[in-house]
Amino acid sequence: MATQPEEVQAALSGSYKAGFVTNVETDTLPPGLNEDIVRAISARKHEPEWMTEWRLQAYRHWLTMKQPHWAHVNLPEIDLQAISYYSAPKKKPKSLAEVDPEILAAYDKLGVPLHERNKLAGVAVDAVFDSVSVATTAQEQLAKVGVIFCSMSHAIVHHPELVRKYIGSVVPQGDNYFAALNSAVFSDGSFVFIPKGLRCPMELSTYFRINAGHTGQFERTLIIAEEDSVVSYLEGCTAPMRDDNQLHAAVVELVALDRASIKYSTVQNWYPGDENGKGGVYNLVTKRGECRGPDSRITWTQVETGSAVTWKYPSVILRGDRSSGEFYSVAVTKHYQQADTGTKMTHIGRDTRSKIVSKGISAGNSQASYRGLVKVEKNAINARNHTRCDSILIGKKCGSHTFPYMEIKNPTAIVEHEATTSKIADDQLFYCRSRGISEEDAVSLIVNGFCKEVFGELPMEFAVEARKLLEVSLEGAIG
Amino acid sequence: MQDAAAAARLPGSGLAWLDAARSEALQAFAARGLPDQRNELWRYTSLRAFAQRGYAAQDPAAATRGVDAAWLQLPGVEGPRLVFVNGVFRADLSSLAALSPGVAVGSLASALRDDPEPLRFLLGGHVADDDDGFTLLNRALAADGVVLKIAAGTVVEAPLHLVHVGVAADAATAWHVRSLIEVGTGASVDIVEHHLGDAATGHFSNIVRDISVREHAHLGWTSVQQASIDATLMRRTHIRLHDDATVDLHALELGGKLARHEVRVEMTGARSRFVSHGAFILHGRQHADAEILVTHRGRDTVSSSVWRGVADGRARGVVHGRILVQPGADGADGSFYNKNLLLSPDAEIDTRPALEIYADEVKANHGATVGQLDEHVLFYLRSRGIPLEQARRILVRAFCLVALDGVQPQALREYCEALLAQQLPEASA
Repeated sequence: MATQPEEVQAALSGSYKAGFVTNVETDTLPPGLNEDIVRAISARKHEPEWMTEWRLQAYRHWLTMKQPHWAHVNLPEIDLQAISYYSAPKKKPKSLAEVDPEILAAYDKLGVPLHERNKLAGVAVDAVFDSVSVATTAQEQLAKVGVIFCSMSHAIVHHPELVRKYIGSVVPQGDNYFAALNSAVFSDGSFVFIPKGLRCPMELSTYFRINAGHTGQFERTLIIAEEDSVVSYLEGCTAPMRDDNQLHAAVVELVALDRASIKYSTVQNWYPGDENGKGGVYNLVTKRGECRGPDSRITWTQVETGSAVTWKYPSVILRGDRSSGEFYSVAVTKHYQQADTGTKMTHIGRDTRSKIVSKGISAGNSQASYRGLVKVEKNAINARNHTRCDSILIGKKCGSHTFPYMEIKNPTAIVEHEATTSKIADDQLFYCRSRGISEEDAVSLIVNGFCKEVFGELPMEFAVEARKLLEVSLEGAIG
Repeated sequence: MQDAAAAARLPGSGLAWLDAARSEALQAFAARGLPDQRNELWRYTSLRAFAQRGYAAQDPAAATRGVDAAWLQLPGVEGPRLVFVNGVFRADLSSLAALSPGVAVGSLASALRDDPEPLRFLLGGHVADDDDGFTLLNRALAADGVVLKIAAGTVVEAPLHLVHVGVAADAATAWHVRSLIEVGTGASVDIVEHHLGDAATGHFSNIVRDISVREHAHLGWTSVQQASIDATLMRRTHIRLHDDATVDLHALELGGKLARHEVRVEMTGARSRFVSHGAFILHGRQHADAEILVTHRGRDTVSSSVWRGVADGRARGVVHGRILVQPGADGADGSFYNKNLLLSPDAEIDTRPALEIYADEVKANHGATVGQLDEHVLFYLRSRGIPLEQARRILVRAFCLVALDGVQPQALREYCEALLAQQLPEASA
């Protein structure tokens, strides 16, 4: 394409809209990692003894591990001694009214309805700024019906019996290199507990933001849905534009008991680095849910547009009979972004089913991979899985890859996988253009249609945001 | 693994370049060892049991072991025949009288003795990164194989017959076979490869082939693997396609205790075309591993693969099909489809189709399924008065027959169909 509209050029050069830095006084631990740092983090959060021990156990296990390299990404050896493991805004807010206005302004810029006045949006928000949770809204209202929605550090102090029972039960401390690291140094995150028989009255949501330089963010989220409960949880992420790479190594654990249902949606828009591949967030995340009880259900929906490197496989362990797991994903990469993402479905119970829909769009010099494992264990009678992965390539220098694994040990299983990779069909583009739609708009239209199945799974507000994000991400990528 | 005296017995020993290449490969093997399951390409195939078995370095009596000539026949394959018994070429069992002009064929051992220089380019190379333990052993120890060259423009009518026979020896024996095949510009040839073994032989045979198909040439390759049920069979087939070349591959994997076939296809030429069909039917504790890695490098290349797997008893079937489209391979069209049937609660199938795409003017797709026979179809057949057992056999047979699409000549196809029918599992509920 010879000419590009000016606004597209503008969008291209400044397309990361969340890249501002907020000046807040922070309390930051010196860079480096050792047992003292782990103890210091634990002490700062006034954690009980068992939690400190738990962290140290994870730390000692982590020492025996090596950074994995099997993903299809070019991830440099990360110097984990050079980053700081704890960074918190200095002023500790006692109530929402006392939250540092700078932080509130920062979240305003991101469109997070943090203020109570925004309660109309019907979303309860937990906002995590660097390492700590700064505010959780609508807590009272939720508390009335018995829902616990608070920061992880709050939960460790106030609901230790719940945390102790469930933490590490889905993602053990030594699960993998980054999960072990997270277990040792995790700073905050969200904790959600939905009691028996309750349908959570509103959407729960967390916004994560990395602000301080040279820090890593290690949040840990734990969601427990007791028998017959239903919850929908949203997660959004942004980070400022910095030249050095920031590390984000989170762990998310979901536990669905008998007949419970958890829907976990993510719109991930960490800073992806500039057009030369400088800077950006390393997003190395372990997300796993366990359908522990019969007839339980877990749905992961993710829209991944940010991060320099993404390494993320939201998984479901289908332990309960007749439980079901779903995974819907849109991953957009451009410039020099690299994404290796997918899911793992482990069928253990009887009559379990899983569905995977993954859409990848790569542009520029980026590399996007789908990596998925469907495992049917020996006693998983009548397991069903259907997997569909489609990828679109925009440009000559990008790559798109599909690495599905299927391990089937039960003869009653039916497991299907299909994948296609192609560029946007010329005839579709031509059709749109012959109707007077510009090439940019036509591509956007086609890509939107391509992703529709996944967007349809997102809660409404997020679907709108995701669509906008996608448009911004793709502007100028065509031609 | 091999003492100096044994190395000195290898054909071509004394040629400086060959000795150097062999010793380099042996050193690399000492460093790399056998692949383990941490290697992604070996993720589902464990060599633990294999590594514990001992093998004699060669069968000293291979040149004189009695083999019934009738056993070697394949219906419809009446062309020239090359027979290897326990890894050694047997001129007495082979028939090379009816060679058409333009076909030069012989054993690797004699080629190395009589005229080694033309092989220098192919055998004198350095160890490559993707050489695993087996390829390295083969580089170091290959003592025989086929050297075949089809001259430019030669159209060979009758299919060439390659037979690998394993017969009982004094001890379980290992042999390493290296074959070099070139199909010249515009030439066309069909090769039928047949692996045979008598029931009691637990050999280890390690075969590496380099096949080059020149411009506008055609190669048809049909492989029928009926090795002994106790044999270990490692094969790697490198196929390079030049401009406008076509290759049609069929593989029927029935025998072997541990049988792995790595097919590595390099589509360097523009408009080249690779089509493959394969099936394995496994029983007992058999383990089969099919790895089909197709790399599209030239423009407008087309590859299409259809593989079927059936696992019964405690068998395990592994399929890995990868389509790799390199930058600049515009117009590539690659597909890989793999369907599997699991017939027993103790059997396992692991399938892994993969796409790696680095160009945008491409079409690439793959699909894989693992399941069992369709209840509705079974019901339909039974409602027509066909007993359950027979209905199941009909369906499994139909499921596998796809792998024989396009097998020529017709007599061979019929023979393969009969083999399939024999191999079909006893219908179990």
